[in-house]
Amino acid sequence: MKTKRQIQKEATRKLILDTAYRVYAEEGFSATTNQIAKAANVSHGTIFVHFPTVENLLICLLERFGSEINKHLHLLSEKDESLETFLAAHIDVLIRYEDFYKKLISDINSLPQDAKFVFINIQSVVSLHLSQVIEREKEKKEIKEIPMHIIFNSWLGLIHYYLTNSYLFSAESVLTEHKDELILNYIKLLENERN
Amino acid sequence: MKTCIACGMPMKKESDFAMGDTSKEYCIYCAKEDGSMQSFEEKKQSLLNFTIKTQGLDKAIAEKAVENMMRQLPAWKGFF
Repeated sequence: MKTKRQIQKEATRKLILDTAYRVYAEEGFSATTNQIAKAANVSHGTIFVHFPTVENLLICLLERFGSEINKHLHLLSEKDESLETFLAAHIDVLIRYEDFYKKLISDINSLPQDAKFVFINIQSVVSLHLSQVIEREKEKKEIKEIPMHIIFNSWLGLIHYYLTNSYLFSAESVLTEHKDELILNYIKLLENERN
Repeated sequence: MKTCIACGMPMKKESDFAMGDTSKEYCIYCAKEDGSMQSFEEKKQSLLNFTIKTQGLDKAIAEKAVENMMRQLPAWKGFF
């Protein structure tokens, strides 16, 4: 049984993470802990009671984000899912976190090394599911002989391009607006012509 | 929902678990043919090969990313 103090401590930790998520999604990852403390309505020192360094806060936030993506993708993916269903599931998950993810991919190069590793591991979950789907599709001989990492990186490259340059394509959610078009045409690029 | 102690994958369906046994703490991908869990070195090597094959990462970067991931998992706490 948790004490009142423990419950309060966990609630404050969650409040800081939820607020950091919101502030980073709006301002990008150059936002300061002062901004996060203000938005969470806690003192600046409180943040460092829960997270010893800014880097630690960032890593905890990215790990939580990664496990949410992991959970959603896993629940959406079924053993016999098609390539189209999987790609739609991936985009649907990203739409839920679109503003945060957009800032994350724009700022990733300036984040600490450990944060980059968490980001790689987030993508590993996606590449695992995609490679399983592709293997199944290949058994049906419908997919061109392209190395798996090029298939994966082309998909990420495509959606990351639309996200980081969303001003070119949409005034609202670029993924929502272009989801069907991106999926349909990406699959066309991979599939062999049928006779 | 349980998550695999050796790779972190969520385990929901029976088929996610090693040998389809829901009392197991590790997943189908972390089990050897006899159903026992892969060793640290086996798992590290398979994650490394997988990361390079599916994402095309530089080997040195992939190694660090894999170690970083394994460090967080309950099964490998004693290895770091």
